[in-house]
Amino acid sequence: MRLLGKTNIDFMSRRRLWYAVSLSVIVLGLISLYIKGIDLGTDFLGGTELIAKFQQPVTIGDVRTAMEQAGYGNSEIKTFGSDTDILIRTSEQREGSMVSDQMRAALTAKFPGNRYVVLREDKIGPKIGAELRRDAVLAVIASLIAIWIYLWFRFKFVYGFGAVTALFHDVMVTLGMVSIFDGVLNLQIDQNMIAAFLTLVGTSVNDTVVIFDRMRENQRIFKTMPLEQLMNKSLNETLSRTIITNGTIFAVLLVLLIFGGEVNRGFAFAMTVGSIVGTYSSVYIASALVLEWVNRGTSKGQLT
Amino acid sequence: MGKYRIQIIFVLAAIALALYFLYPTYRDYELHKELVALHGEDSLAFLEQNETAIRENRQKRIKLGLDLQGGMRVVLEVNVLRLIEDLAKNKDDAFAQVLKEVREEARHSDESPVLIMRRKFEERQIRLSRYYGSLRDDNDKIASILEDEAKKAIDRGMEIVRNRVDQYGVSEPNVQKLGGSRIIVELPGVSKEAEVRQLLQGTALLEFKLLKDPEVAYRVMEAIDKALAATGVVDTADTAAQDLLADTTKVATPEGEMTPAELVKKHPFLSIAIVNPQQFPGEAVVLEENRDKVRRLLERDDVKRVMPADMQFLWSAKARIFGDGRRYFVLYPVKSTPELTGGVITHAQHSVDPNYNQWIVTMEMNSEGAKDWARITGANINKRIAIVLDDAVFSAPVVRGKIPSGNSQIEGMENQDEARLLEIVLKAGALPAPVEIIEQRSVGPSLGEDSIRAGLISSAVATVMTLLFMFLYYRAGGTIANLALILCLLFLLAVLAAFQGTLTLPGIAGVILTLAVAVDANVLIYERIREELATGKTLRASIDAGYKKAWSAILDSNLTTMITGIILYQFGTGPVQGFALTLMIGIGASMFSAIFVTHIVFNVITDVYNRTISFG
Repeated sequence: MRLLGKTNIDFMSRRRLWYAVSLSVIVLGLISLYIKGIDLGTDFLGGTELIAKFQQPVTIGDVRTAMEQAGYGNSEIKTFGSDTDILIRTSEQREGSMVSDQMRAALTAKFPGNRYVVLREDKIGPKIGAELRRDAVLAVIASLIAIWIYLWFRFKFVYGFGAVTALFHDVMVTLGMVSIFDGVLNLQIDQNMIAAFLTLVGTSVNDTVVIFDRMRENQRIFKTMPLEQLMNKSLNETLSRTIITNGTIFAVLLVLLIFGGEVNRGFAFAMTVGSIVGTYSSVYIASALVLEWVNRGTSKGQLT
Repeated sequence: MGKYRIQIIFVLAAIALALYFLYPTYRDYELHKELVALHGEDSLAFLEQNETAIRENRQKRIKLGLDLQGGMRVVLEVNVLRLIEDLAKNKDDAFAQVLKEVREEARHSDESPVLIMRRKFEERQIRLSRYYGSLRDDNDKIASILEDEAKKAIDRGMEIVRNRVDQYGVSEPNVQKLGGSRIIVELPGVSKEAEVRQLLQGTALLEFKLLKDPEVAYRVMEAIDKALAATGVVDTADTAAQDLLADTTKVATPEGEMTPAELVKKHPFLSIAIVNPQQFPGEAVVLEENRDKVRRLLERDDVKRVMPADMQFLWSAKARIFGDGRRYFVLYPVKSTPELTGGVITHAQHSVDPNYNQWIVTMEMNSEGAKDWARITGANINKRIAIVLDDAVFSAPVVRGKIPSGNSQIEGMENQDEARLLEIVLKAGALPAPVEIIEQRSVGPSLGEDSIRAGLISSAVATVMTLLFMFLYYRAGGTIANLALILCLLFLLAVLAAFQGTLTLPGIAGVILTLAVAVDANVLIYERIREELATGKTLRASIDAGYKKAWSAILDSNLTTMITGIILYQFGTGPVQGFALTLMIGIGASMFSAIFVTHIVFNVITDVYNRTISFG
């Protein structure tokens, strides 16, 4: 079976159009981030989060009334997977387990005869929240720098630059998408989501590396070929691999998104978006930027 | 075939090894299934029969993270503010006012509370020596002393917490120091939050308790033995059925000279609580695996009835390894009423005794304590006094003579660690280690079950889908890649089991992602082989060229993923680390199976059997 035969697509000629597309998607995400903000999880915000499973369905309104009576009117309340499971979250900080104790008491009083079990409970002190926030940002930045250094060493400085810019692009686009869709899909930025970001950074750079690797190889054979032509040739040659691999990853992630349960949803969503964006950015950001750089400067972009 | 023999043997050995490491996980699952199917006495009998197997398999199985298993994770931090408040002397209004301001500021600042306090006092032109240290000390010195105390407090807090968690009796608890000032406590399967909170945060209680006279102790132990023999031990199982069921560590059958069942029946207590007057005067030793059983026996009403009112049994805090290489806990019969509590200790220090070149711990007491201590030691020369922290005995030295000044020296520590531990314990009684919970996560068992189910379903669907696609797209080549894929999963899980890694929910996502990584390696190779075939090369030459040319791309892309994995492992906590772990192991496993194993298979098929392989 073959998905496509020998292709000869001129990827690079249309790159300016795609810059515009990328930019608008990022700007759209930034606008959403600015207006709606992003739903930070308890990990990063600090506070108490409680997930309770009731025997019979309860309405969010009733839970809210109970929370208001307990003095937690500012909590965020939503269903968690099914309408018997309720997630309550507040950034309120009190001594010990006071917050969760009061929440539990309020739920017991409000729903007599409808018993519940606590599925999960997190209490994060304010200091920890701030630290986890800092660590998450540091982790993303550190991995970008580490990848740059690796690619610089294995390829060339400018290739590292192209790849890392592409990764930064992927992170920005995904972040924007999470902000746009967080209401619909119940998404929040927590530690799992950060793990997803780092992983999409890892898989996205895979694509880029495979393309660069092919360019390195082709440069050895076609020593005088202009870079743009060489790039197109390499992209076409690796195209079927790109589609098959990323198709598989995409399908696997879709499965995780659908069957993986509520807890893995944020992770799967970010990865799914990231796998699409990452494939695209390997071509139109990572490779294209190397081309721009070489066209402008004195560097020939020679890898060998 | 001969050419590839070593490689084939190597792969087969790797598979065998993987199965060997995974077998306990499988057995544990089977035993658990059998146990769940049984009820009441049947399940008890099952536990008794299989307890060694259950314990051993459980130790070697793949560990599940708290998010899958349910349980609590607590992060504790030393409350430096409380510590400096507790350490201060001559506290006055000015001090209270400054402390209030420091508390307010520390909430938003990263600066250490000690430094904030120092600044506040300097603003007021008050010297720190008014409250700490001696009058001649300048602020620099006192600040460094206080910072030092904060550092020591974490060690103390750590020992106190570890001791209590050990006493609490959770299976597979984990107590770890995190960075310079934090303690992580992980308690699988525990959901009693209020209880745990109290357990971790309460003030430590250090007591000195007199050991019972060996004669009296033996008489009581014999009486217990008789009382138990009269009712029969089988009874224990019935009354403690629930307890036994909940327990994960099980009791072993006694060995050696006491093997016959009659002896156990005749001496239900003394057969597992071993007394040896010559070697361990006045105490009993119990094999680690028998500890819970003895504990249960001692809690029985008929046992309590034969115990004198002012006597109790306390366990040693740590196990000792004896000549037979097995781990024993010591059971100390002590007087219930403490002779003295640890609040009177002013100082403790471990050091080497220059005369005998052995580790010792010296301790000093305040004048009030010293007076009591002189009386106590004077009255109990040649008797033993147990040093008890939160009901666990850390040392039980013999009183050599009357100690008039309170300055005592404790000998008999085997190494520096032991001496250091005793110093920490002695200080715990006097200097508090105020710890507070700054992070607490608990996952109920039902969420864990749901998560496991969701994880298994998605893994299964993703695997089947991928296998099907690879077969349809690459035919024979795809089938071989699928074989590699399954091997990759096998290796991944085996490495996880072998290195006691923890499988978390994001870890399952990592397993699924590994599938994609493994597929990518094969896709890279196969696409190359197809390209080479298209140029008219022979199958043999194309396969070799495909592997050779795809190698650098596979290596570079896997190494970059590995880099993010390492960073994720460094920065992440708990579940996220689990993800990074499976991702990293997965990369290694996939490279081995997708490149090495498939290449051998191709070589054997084309070279040895002279068959062709379709790459779709």
